[in-house]
This record gives sequence, C-alpha cells and structure tokens, in this order.
Amino acid sequence: MTDKALARALGFLTAAALAVTQAPVGFVRDEGYYFAAAQRYEAWLRLLLHAPLQAVAETEQYWAYNFEHPGLTKLLFAVSHLIFTTWLRVLPDALAWRLPAFAFAGLLSYWLCLLGLSRSRAAGVLAPLLFWCAERTFFHGHLACFDVPICAMWTGVGLAWLRGTGPRLATTYGLALAVKHNAWFLPPVLLVHALLLPRDQRTAGLRKLPWLLLSPAVLFVFWPLLWHDPLRHLRDWIAFHTHHVHYAWWYFGQVLRAPPFPVEYPLVLDAMVLPLPTVALLAAAGISLLAGFARRRLESQRLLELGLAGAALLPFLLRTTPIFGGIKHWLAFVALLTPEAASLLARVAPQPRLLVPAAVATLAAGAWQIAHVHPYGTSAYGELSGGIPGAATLGMQRQYWSNNVTGVLPWLNANCPPGARVYFHEVNVESYRTYVLVGMLRGDIRYAPDPEQADYVALQWHREFRDREPETWNAFGTRRPATGLYLDEVPQVVVYARPGLPGGP
Amino acid sequence: MVLHRAAFVALIALGAGSLLFDLTMGFRLPSDADWAEAAGSLRSRARPGDAVQIWPVWAERVRLFVDAAPVLAEEDLEHADYLEVRRLWVLSLPRTPFFRTPDPALRARGATAAGEVQRFGALALQAWDLHAAALAADLTRSSEEHEVDYVARRCLRVPPGGRFAARGTAGTALHLRAGIIGERAYDADRPPIAVQVFADGAPLGILEVARTVRDGTGWRRLDVAIPSGAAEREFLFAVSSSDRARQLCLQAWTTR
Repeated sequence: MTDKALARALGFLTAAALAVTQAPVGFVRDEGYYFAAAQRYEAWLRLLLHAPLQAVAETEQYWAYNFEHPGLTKLLFAVSHLIFTTWLRVLPDALAWRLPAFAFAGLLSYWLCLLGLSRSRAAGVLAPLLFWCAERTFFHGHLACFDVPICAMWTGVGLAWLRGTGPRLATTYGLALAVKHNAWFLPPVLLVHALLLPRDQRTAGLRKLPWLLLSPAVLFVFWPLLWHDPLRHLRDWIAFHTHHVHYAWWYFGQVLRAPPFPVEYPLVLDAMVLPLPTVALLAAAGISLLAGFARRRLESQRLLELGLAGAALLPFLLRTTPIFGGIKHWLAFVALLTPEAASLLARVAPQPRLLVPAAVATLAAGAWQIAHVHPYGTSAYGELSGGIPGAATLGMQRQYWSNNVTGVLPWLNANCPPGARVYFHEVNVESYRTYVLVGMLRGDIRYAPDPEQADYVALQWHREFRDREPETWNAFGTRRPATGLYLDEVPQVVVYARPGLPGGP
Repeated sequence: MVLHRAAFVALIALGAGSLLFDLTMGFRLPSDADWAEAAGSLRSRARPGDAVQIWPVWAERVRLFVDAAPVLAEEDLEHADYLEVRRLWVLSLPRTPFFRTPDPALRARGATAAGEVQRFGALALQAWDLHAAALAADLTRSSEEHEVDYVARRCLRVPPGGRFAARGTAGTALHLRAGIIGERAYDADRPPIAVQVFADGAPLGILEVARTVRDGTGWRRLDVAIPSGAAEREFLFAVSSSDRARQLCLQAWTTR
C-alpha cells in the first residue's frame, strides 16, 4: 500500500467510524442552529435550481440567519441533506446533515497521516489514532459544527503551505476562511514560518504567501450572504467574534465569568480531559518540538507543526478570549502535536515487535473512555482528573451544550402522557424540533418554557444554573427525581415529574 | 539504550495504570443495592430532626433512594447552619477520587460522631450530633427553597424595597442570612442590598449584601445578641437598594 493509499484508507475509516456511531449523539445547542440554517440554505438551493436570478437576489432572506459563521460547512450540510434525504431519501435527516462533518474528520485523519508519514509509516498510522482515541475529540467528530472542520482545514492549510502550489494554498486557505474565523490567524503563522526558514526556502515561502490574497474570493463564493452588501456582513461577522459574550464556566471550584482567565487554562483542561497516556505523549511532543526550536534543529515541517499548534492555543493564553466549550476551540493544538507524538511513540519501542504493545498501552485508556462515556462527550474526563467523579469533586464543568439529554429521552417517551409539557432546560427549541423530527422524541411532547409551566423537567446539571432545581422543587412540591442520567454516579441530567403523573412520586 | 528502555517501560506502566484506574472505577462507586441498603437503614433509624448530608456534594443520586429524612447538599460543612437539624447523617462515597473526609469540618463546628461508620458497599453512613443551640423561633418559616451561592436554601424571597415582619420568641440571639438568588449575585457594577433588622421597633443591626465576587461567599451572615426585654417580639426586616432588579432571599431565626 502506498503512503497516500494508507492515508486515504485512514481517512475513510475515520469517516465510517463516525457515521456508524453518530446515531446516539445528541444534538448540541449549536447544531440546532446549524440545522435550522441548513434548512434555510437548502430552500435557497432549491430556489437557485429553479429560479437562479431570484435566488441570487434573495440571498439575504435565506442567509442572514446565523450570519456569525461563514457559509461553507452549513452549505455542505444543506447540500448533503438535499441530495441524500430530500431527493434520494436514503439517509435520515441528522445523518445527512452530519455527513460533511465526517468528511472533514476523514480529511483530518488523511492529513495527520501524511504529516506522520514524513517521519515513519508507524507515525503515519498512529498520528490520527492518537487524535481520535479520546472521547472528547471522538465526540466532536460527530457534530455538524465547525470545530473539527476548522481543525482539519488548519492542518490542510499547513500541508498546502509545505507541499502545495500557490493556487492550492490559496484555495485551501480560502476554504478554511469559509469554515470558521479561526482561519484569520493562519497568515501570520505562515509568514513567521517563512521568515524562520533557511534562505532558499524562505524566498520560496515569501513568494508563495501573496497567493493568500486570492483566498477571500473562495470565502465570497461559498458565502452568498456576502453577495450583497459584503462590507456590512463582513463587519458584522468580525464584530460578533471580537465582542463575543463570555459564558460561565466552572473550573476548579470557581465559576469563571469574565476575563482575566487563568493563563494555564487551555493546557490544564487538555490535561484534565484527555486520557493520561495521550497527555503524556502530547506533552513530550510539545517539549520535543520546543527543544528542537531552541536548538534550531527543526526542519520546515516540524517548525510549522509547532507554529500551527502554538497558534491554535495562543488566543486562549491571552486571558481575554472566551474559554467556554471545553477543548473544542483549540482542537488543532492537539491535532498538530500528534505527528510528533506518534513519532515519539514509534521510537520508544526498543524493537519493532514491541511497537504494538506500546501503541496499545497508549491508546487503550482512550478506547475505554470512548466505550464507557460515548455519546456523552462533553462530560468526559481523563485519569489525571480522577475520571468523571474526580472532576466533579474538583469542581470542573460537568457538561455543556445539552446533548446529554438523549440519556433521558427514552424515559420521557415511555412515561409522558399525551401532550405532556416538558421543560428541557438547556436544550434549545431548534434541537428539540430535531429530536422530534428524527423520532428520538415523541411528537406530542411539548416544549415548556420553565418548570412552573411544565409537567416534567429535564435539568442539565450546570453550576451556573443551580437555581433551576429548587425552582422545580417549589413548582412540583417534591425533591425526589423521577429518573436521571448519571455517569459514574455524577448527575448529568435529572428528571422531575409532577406528583401523580406517570413516573412521578 | 537504558533511557530508551526506561521510556518504554514508563509508557507501558502509564498506560496499564491508566487503564487499571478506569476499569476499577466501578468498584469505587455504589451500586443501586448499596443505595437501597443505606436508604433502608435510614428508614429504620431516622427520627424527626434528622437530616442527611451527602458527601461529596455531587452525589445527588441519593435523592432517588433516600426518603426518610431531608437530603442536604451543603458545601461548607463547618459553617452550614443546619437549621432545625439535631442529628446529621453523613452519607459519603469515600472511595471516589480526591475524596476528603468530612470529619474535620464537622468536628470544627463542635459536632461529635453519634455512632460507628456503617458501610454499604462503596457507601459510608455515620450519624453526627450537631450540638446546635436550641431554636427559639424560625422567623421566616419558608416552605420554598432558592439557590444562593450554589446551595438550595430554605429562605424567603424579599425584593429590594420590600419588608418582612414576623412575631416570635426572642431568645438570646438573632441569626440572619441573606443572599442574592442565582447568577445575578455576580452582576458587576451593582450596588449592595441592605437588610435592616428591628425588634419591636428597636434597630438590631444591618446586613449588607454586596455583589458576590468569589464563589462560596454569597450567603451573608449576621448574628446579633438580642437585648433583654419581652419574651416575644415583632421582628422587622427592611430590604433596601437603589437596584431593584435582583431578588434577595433571607432566612432568620432566633436561638435560646
């Protein structure tokens, strides 16, 4: 098998593994919005096919929703749904929307494998495995969101910079821009990388860099919102992210609400949520790259990996960037360290036949984490934090994004009387509608705005929303839950029923 | 070569240790049968005036099982008021990671163990006598609970500008607790809320509830001696602030 064939095989395997395991993954809050956006964009696509001029004239009407993120991924969600669900009727809605995300995940594996292969064949195989063999990363791979796609494009831009032509670099970076605003940080990384290279490579790099000036054209093409009044929409996009709200986040017993945040926060969180052997290897990889940099012994690729990993993390070391969302906003930091980590892992085995035990020892804890915690990825914690119970004792964010509600939907379906009103707490109405659409929730179960107006309550345990539980006790006159989702005893979703109703006290 | 071999051995040990930790987690956690046994024991031994304190406080699955006494999830065992609780059953999960025994905090408040620790699988149950001062009057008598500083408190919601009056046995000391409900306690640039206390018209003290800056400090306390006088008095709590958007919750009682 050639190197490229191996990388392609790993890419397809990644996408297939995610597709096979996606069904139980709940719809995170943001997915609810992106599904709603994809539905609007699909309507626009159909209009485009039937009345192109009208579609072009009415882009604002369809694309203004979720203006804060560029169009590419949501457009792909829409195209996938249009083809596989609306036209061919071969895929259920959620799987069709999520399919492009799996493709991005596959691309990430493909590119990580290529980076690893430049060191050794073993490193090529182990790099994507190291990235995916943890519940947090595995979970994010399933979502019709932007975190894994931008992580993939971050890596892809790196490879295009190292090995591609100018046009390829311009296209790849344009696609990254069209995925998520993280891409704004890439040109400075490439510039610094070029400046640090030996003279001949530096010249070639600096000659390639201007191709990036063409990349905004790709953003423009894949984001029809920009087709009218582009400056206003670009301004709104940038303003949204430069003035982003800070959501409360529980960290070592204190709720972080506003800057300044702890400088070590992203590194500590990585160490707390990822499996310990992976943490150790990634730390070794980081040290190895930094030591190589200090000794001026890094060749172009390793220097770029260090730069891309550092750039993915840097905004979150500034103490002012919003820190919510677990590790999802700096997944590229983890990803770009995996080729070096994989290489170290491959080299640590004294003999080739001992590579498999070394790899198994490294990956087994992550595999167990996935088997044990999936699909509740936002709740996963590694051994350093004492698993989920240890993290709860330490006062770490229990979960986020509301997808864990899937753990109690079967109970609600089985117990709620017809037309029952359920307060779903953090589950937004868009995700609620998707649960109904895909059949995970009975269609007659209604969405209640607060516990007072509900027959049942499904509370997601968040430190900052603790007031909701006593509110429910007051409204229902009972403190006894009907059921709940508890991971290793730790409450995630607690369900209350009004006394006298099915399942209630 | 030695370094190489050591790194290999260390990696294998780290991987095996991590996996061992993961695979044995289940043995450190209670089963449904453990919970049911503990609940059964409490059912047969709990008396009026008892309460169950869970430890660590996240172990709230207990609420599915224990029905013999109120379940409390106080976070600061040394300073929690445990109003009307004479005996506290501490139900804990001592095998969980980073577990810290609650005993020193309970001893620091003057509580004494009222029996041996009973084990139900991964659960431990022990009764503690709190030796609390005898209650003279529960002035607020709230049946509602509200979250202040991340703990459910049996307190009365009084908006700024509002008053609350109650008649009760004076005793020797008045205890007032107050805090802002929910996350609004952390709102920046908000003025403090003041609670003025009067007994039969005479001022007893003022409790100022400022914006909470650090978790664990939002439930403010005022303990004052009651001057001699009538055995029963009219207590008045006047809540004032230039910002009326936040909800204050207060709890007051007297002790003999």
